[in-house]
Amino acid sequence: MTHSIPLSAYLIMSAILFSIGVVGVLIRRNPLIIFMSIELMLNAVNLSFVALSSYLDSADGQMFVFLVLTVAAAEVVVGLALIVSIFRTRRNIDVDEMNILRG
Amino acid sequence: MTPELVSFIVLAIASTASALGVIFFKNAVYSALSLILTLLFLAMFYLLLGAMFIAVVQILIYAGAIMVLFLFVVTMLVPEQTEDALRDYIPWQRAVAGILGLVLVGGLSYLIFTGANTTAPKAVGGSLQAAVNAPQSGNIEAFGQALFHGFLFPFEVTSLLIVIAILGALIFGRRA
Repeated sequence: MTHSIPLSAYLIMSAILFSIGVVGVLIRRNPLIIFMSIELMLNAVNLSFVALSSYLDSADGQMFVFLVLTVAAAEVVVGLALIVSIFRTRRNIDVDEMNILRG
Repeated sequence: MTPELVSFIVLAIASTASALGVIFFKNAVYSALSLILTLLFLAMFYLLLGAMFIAVVQILIYAGAIMVLFLFVVTMLVPEQTEDALRDYIPWQRAVAGILGLVLVGGLSYLIFTGANTTAPKAVGGSLQAAVNAPQSGNIEAFGQALFHGFLFPFEVTSLLIVIAILGALIFGRRA
């Protein structure tokens, strides 16, 4: 398809969203918000894949987005089950308090 | 100033604002709702790029299933800082929501009645030999050809991955 917007615009957009996700992982203490920032990072990468797939006229990028989506869904399921089970025993989900394994 | 450029700029500003909302809201439910908004804006980006199937899949799976799971857990767990949130009740909120709903219905009806601009069909993945005979009509056919010819094995492996994730969630979710 013909594009009037340069590819770098989409990639810069993806980079902005990715860095917002990274900052979210670093500055928040609630593990649910950290999880959501990780999902934001995954979506930024999906945007890169779809943009390159569209500009290179190949459906392979969209296939990777499909696989990334599935892996993200599986990861969210297991991660949330972990957080819920941690909350059941400790009644507290602050990541700064989870330091039992620290050497 | 093509419509594509205008929509790209609007979507870029809006998705950046909602992504900032994800990481800066103190209330976790607001963060989850802000992430849903970001996912919807990203689906519009995919529509702008001509990836219709991925846009719909994004809304169905990401905004429709994964974020619902997030919201279940977020509303189930007690927030760590017990701040008394200020109950700001905006008096004109429902009026504005009603007007925006009418604008949405009007816009969709206009598109349906005038016919949306369909772009040229997409080529199939360059690494596939079987893609030479792919029909040139419609984006979903190219995606389907790529899925069931070149990416069949990863597709089956993801079904195994989903089974593993379900088992893991069951094991973690059991009452000890």
